Amino acid sequence: MSGIEFLRITVLVVFSLNGLLALTLIVWKALHRRRQKGYERRRVAYLTLLSRHLADPDEDLEMSPMVAEDQAFLDALIDIRTSVTGAESDALAEVIGSYGVMDRYARRLGSRHFRIRRLRAAVALAEVADSSRAGVLMKALDDHDPEVRIQAARGLGRMKWTPAIDKIVDRFSIETPWVRARFSDTLIGFGQKATWPLVAYVKVNHRFETAGPTAAIRTLGTIGDQDAARPMVEVLEQAFHLEIQLPTIETLGVLGAPIAVPHLEALMDAEDWRLRAKAAGALGDIRDVSAVDRLALGLTDRNWWVRRNSAAALGKIPGGVRLLYHAISSADPFARDAAAEALYDAGELIAARRRVDQGEATPNDLALIRLIAQEEVLAS
Amino acid sequence: MADDSETITTLLETALVARGYEVTVARNGPDTYEKGKTEKLDLVILDHLMPGLLGLEIIEKWRAEGIETPVIVLSGVDDDRTVVQSLEIGAVDFVRKPFRLNELMARIKQRISG
Repeated sequence: MSGIEFLRITVLVVFSLNGLLALTLIVWKALHRRRQKGYERRRVAYLTLLSRHLADPDEDLEMSPMVAEDQAFLDALIDIRTSVTGAESDALAEVIGSYGVMDRYARRLGSRHFRIRRLRAAVALAEVADSSRAGVLMKALDDHDPEVRIQAARGLGRMKWTPAIDKIVDRFSIETPWVRARFSDTLIGFGQKATWPLVAYVKVNHRFETAGPTAAIRTLGTIGDQDAARPMVEVLEQAFHLEIQLPTIETLGVLGAPIAVPHLEALMDAEDWRLRAKAAGALGDIRDVSAVDRLALGLTDRNWWVRRNSAAALGKIPGGVRLLYHAISSADPFARDAAAEALYDAGELIAARRRVDQGEATPNDLALIRLIAQEEVLAS
Repeated sequence: MADDSETITTLLETALVARGYEVTVARNGPDTYEKGKTEKLDLVILDHLMPGLLGLEIIEKWRAEGIETPVIVLSGVDDDRTVVQSLEIGAVDFVRKPFRLNELMARIKQRISG
């Protein structure tokens, strides 16, 4: 066989294979489109049947039990179930029970089906949140697919299945940030029942890792249970990772825990400016009047963020505004700027201008207006 | 009946037709706005978050053009600000999703017969 002949045959084979591949793709796409259209048609038909049943509960559904094998029926049922509540929701729960829908989803979730089928099953079980399926969802918390685990946790949260809390919290150490964030949402839904499992998790793990405990600390802040304040103060005393200390300080502020004030005041002398700045912010959130003197000192801190946070904190605490007005007459330009900004943010400039218009201006009002006008000139 | 969710429109259309009402359906903001302008409607059940034009924007545009068709807002957005804003710009009622079908039907009946 000559070289030219060999080349010709090679080109022919390559072109034929390409043609075959293109044809296969076209046929596959056409079949997929047809299947999709059929699915949509059936879903709308099921929606209409279920809607008629809800509009008139005396009207029988008259569907074969086999429809429960049809994904279009299952999707229509779950869609409509999430849209209504009250008596209609109960009527659909009856349909779900009588067609064995949850049994099918539970089997799918527990099997080695394709990922998408397991995920659909997890979403459906989470939406319906029938506590008789809690066991399947508990197992699904160990599924190798993160989205399935997220849906399993969501479902357990919706059914308020408290035995799931420990398992969800334990997974904080091994999950990705995305899954941890979604687990955190679920735990927030459990409210105060999640407080102690989270506290225990943080206390045991904060010395060895940071990502999981940090997420747990922030979750405690969002839950807002005051019982978490004392253990968080203990964590703050023991923690040596900045990644743990910073969210703990923030959470103590969010919790508004007066018990933390002496510890936060002590942190305003820390070497690291991030600790000092965070502590100032938290003291402002706690709004304890005993902190104003220490925060006033923060106005002269060597770091801009600490000065800014101290001033903002003073703006939130009763008696703090008086100190801010005092600071705008200070010889220290840094303290002056921080105080002026905090007064501006607290709406004091607008109030001062109004008092000037009404002829009731105080020396403080005039000083604030003058200082901000100077800053505006400098900025322009 | 204006909602981008086929599930909601099918459910409400079926329930309303079963009660003897005549129903027109729209699935997006601009279509809803046009139908409100061109068709004689007794009542509009309007979703807030719709593609193209938000429900509240549609009410504002209708009111600015003198179209006073009563509107019940049906929405999954349930923050107080949206509820208050809906009523302030001229909606006659606000129903949160998920909703009770019978309760919504009673509200519709009251508005239409009223």
